[in-house]
Amino acid sequence: MTAPCTASVLLFHEVGLHARPSVKLTKLAKRFASQIEVAPAPDGPWIDAKSIVKVMAVKAPKDTVLHFRATGEDADRALAALVRLVETDFADEAV
Amino acid sequence: MTDLPGHMAVALGADDIETLFGAMARTIIAHAEELTALDQAIGDGDHGVNMKRGFEAVTANLPAIAAKPLPEALKAAGMELVMKVGGASGPLYGTLLMTLGKTLPAAPGRGDVAAALAAAIDAVKARGKSETGQKTMLDVLAPVQAAVARGEDLATIRAIAAEAAAATVPMRATRGRASFLGERSVGHMDPGARSSQLLVEAVCDAIGDFA
Amino acid sequence: MSLAKTSAGTPARVGIVIVSHSPDVARGTADMVRQMVGTEVPLAWCGGNPDGGLGTSVEKIIAAIDAAWSEAGVAILVDLGGAETNSEMAIELLPEERQERTVLVNAPLVEGAIMAATEAWGGGSLDDVRRTAEELAPR
Repeated sequence: MTAPCTASVLLFHEVGLHARPSVKLTKLAKRFASQIEVAPAPDGPWIDAKSIVKVMAVKAPKDTVLHFRATGEDADRALAALVRLVETDFADEAV
Repeated sequence: MTDLPGHMAVALGADDIETLFGAMARTIIAHAEELTALDQAIGDGDHGVNMKRGFEAVTANLPAIAAKPLPEALKAAGMELVMKVGGASGPLYGTLLMTLGKTLPAAPGRGDVAAALAAAIDAVKARGKSETGQKTMLDVLAPVQAAVARGEDLATIRAIAAEAAAATVPMRATRGRASFLGERSVGHMDPGARSSQLLVEAVCDAIGDFA
Repeated sequence: MSLAKTSAGTPARVGIVIVSHSPDVARGTADMVRQMVGTEVPLAWCGGNPDGGLGTSVEKIIAAIDAAWSEAGVAILVDLGGAETNSEMAIELLPEERQERTVLVNAPLVEGAIMAATEAWGGGSLDDVRRTAEELAPR
């Protein structure tokens, strides 16, 4: 079992991780084979980034630093894509 | 004839079936406003309108329905109600008639009617996820089924249906929209119980009229 | 009555049917699903009784299931009790091979539709789609 890849990114989206960004994040995570988790703090709680219900329940406010960790063959690409999604303020072309 | 046929029952002809469904449709359509008023008190106020729409569809197709053997006629009438009523009462009454159609032989005797009613009531319970005592149509249908099974005559069955509908007035609803009212559902007759009573009366009258 | 087409060549995604007593609520919910999740998930909606008033219609529900049909199955979301009863009746009137691949989801209509569609978009099975939406409404 390799150690998971990790990444973090500042959430500057005006209303935080509300419904629409949650759907986009979940959809993007589902594109990758790796197991991907997201957390609103470095020590968790870690939740499955592919679970729309759990991602929506995070309700991370603006200025939260989102932490990602991924395990699997495409973990690097997955994290790069997720960070880019948040950095581009959940732009449509990212998903 | 003032009794359900016992043994050696004869198949109902097209005229009899037309009399039967015609009587059911006429009474529901005639009482639509009363049913709506009852439903406005404890439901969402559309029971009369919905049932009227369903039985108008039955009336429009009456010749085609009456041309079928009784079991098929019941299934066809039930399907009209399912498709046209629009509220939950459509699937409930539709299921009642369709199950009677699936269970009754073409020439039913009293025992067949009792057994088919029991099966139809079970199907309505499953469809409505409800039991007797919850202030629903079941509180009329169940005592009527028991009366048929006991061998009561038509006049007694009619009286039992009326008593059973009246007995829903003091009940507290625990199923359907009326259950949201809790204690406030007490003091009103259940609209579904009333429509069931009307249908039972119509059937009793029609059977009494059969040649 | 409307339908989002899946792009050809993608594996079948579970279809979503939205049933409300109000055509406006059903249409609006479907719009939200399309905007938030996209048009790749087969989607259909219906609302109103056979006269077009508030209510539901078994006939319309069957047509909506037909429109959103997918080999992966169809998940139905409803608003109130009557819609549930009518949807159960509609499922029973489907051809047998479709009955076992059509499920009624016990979840709030709007949130449930978004959750179910997101899961369907990601290729979740019919059971995954139902469980995802029902996580919202613990029985």
